[in-house]
Amino acid sequence: MNTPPAPRGPDGATLSGLIVRIAERGDREAFTALFSHFAPRVKSYLLRLGAAPEAAEELAQETLLTVWRRAASFDPSRAAASTWIFTIARNLRIDLSRRDGRSPPVDDPSMMNDGPSRPDDALGAVEDEARILAAMARLPAEQAQVITLAFYADKPHSEIAGDLGLPLGTVKSRLRLAMARLRIALAEPPL
Amino acid sequence: MSASHHPAEALLVDYASGALRGGGRMVLSSHLMACPACRDSIARFEAVGGALLSALPPATLHKDALALALARIERPVPPAPATTGPIAGWITTPADVVRAARDRRRWAAPGVWVASVTRGPGRASTYLLGVAAGMTVPRHTHRGAEMVCVLKGAYVDDDVRHAPGDFAFNDDSVDHRPGITAEGDCVCLVFTEAPLVPRDWVGRLFQPLVGI
Repeated sequence: MNTPPAPRGPDGATLSGLIVRIAERGDREAFTALFSHFAPRVKSYLLRLGAAPEAAEELAQETLLTVWRRAASFDPSRAAASTWIFTIARNLRIDLSRRDGRSPPVDDPSMMNDGPSRPDDALGAVEDEARILAAMARLPAEQAQVITLAFYADKPHSEIAGDLGLPLGTVKSRLRLAMARLRIALAEPPL
Repeated sequence: MSASHHPAEALLVDYASGALRGGGRMVLSSHLMACPACRDSIARFEAVGGALLSALPPATLHKDALALALARIERPVPPAPATTGPIAGWITTPADVVRAARDRRRWAAPGVWVASVTRGPGRASTYLLGVAAGMTVPRHTHRGAEMVCVLKGAYVDDDVRHAPGDFAFNDDSVDHRPGITAEGDCVCLVFTEAPLVPRDWVGRLFQPLVGI
């Protein structure tokens, strides 16, 4: 797998700060900056998952509208801006497939107000992104491949196994090993 | 009280990526609502999703996309859908599960009730199963995957106790007859990819009545 390019544009702390400004004072300038950074990436993510261009554009709009409306529930000490926005886009995508009549709505426990508690890590989640990308770049190719298929191709692990012609147990252990390495990367001292 | 039987990590990745949908997602959601440890794992996997989102090359938006977004945020917020309170004595579950329990519960056999939550895709089915204290579910196995989360009470399967919040994954390698403990009735949220396969005459009698 190609090494993902380093994220461009504002850093994690700045992006989290934009959401906080929206929550605190409905800051339209902050929304404009956040939209300009994330809407094109959310659209890119949805296109990767196979959405039609119009649908991807609309879901990117919906995602950023949801960010505006729910900004008060964002806690920068618990999740990076990119993580929070990823979960919103993912949930909207699942809701949309439900409206197509395929699956029922599900309340999202990952939106429950907790998450990793790391009282010793004053910087909270804002550095996670750089750590994860650095750790991803160091993963063995076979582990990076299953992570990429899971997140960029929307495939459950059973389907990944079928596509790669691998036993289910192999895919499960590659995912487990990859996640263990990423977990270790997240526990490392600040970069 | 926290759960002691958890989903495989690969299933948590499916949840975080969004690949797990429908009834399977509901069962896993019910476990997550009761399990801070697995919520913690999910949060880390979602951070991977967030980092990968950030690393994507930006796509080109419509030229008026920002103007449209700025207009949309000025519109009034639609009222939130009515929330359904939890059911007393059960762990917290997705609202659809609560609605099924209130609206679609039917007695299937003495001491056994079912409530269909959702059907599909294909032969898959998601339902609530309530069984009275001390009863045993007839011996059966599975075609494809089954996911179970205990919402109330407890059952014992192969000498292992499953209590509220516990998650179980069964497939065709499992041939079992789970028994409800004597403490009280047990309610489970169940997702099956295909109907159960009864393994004895009791099961064959039981299945058409219960419809699972």
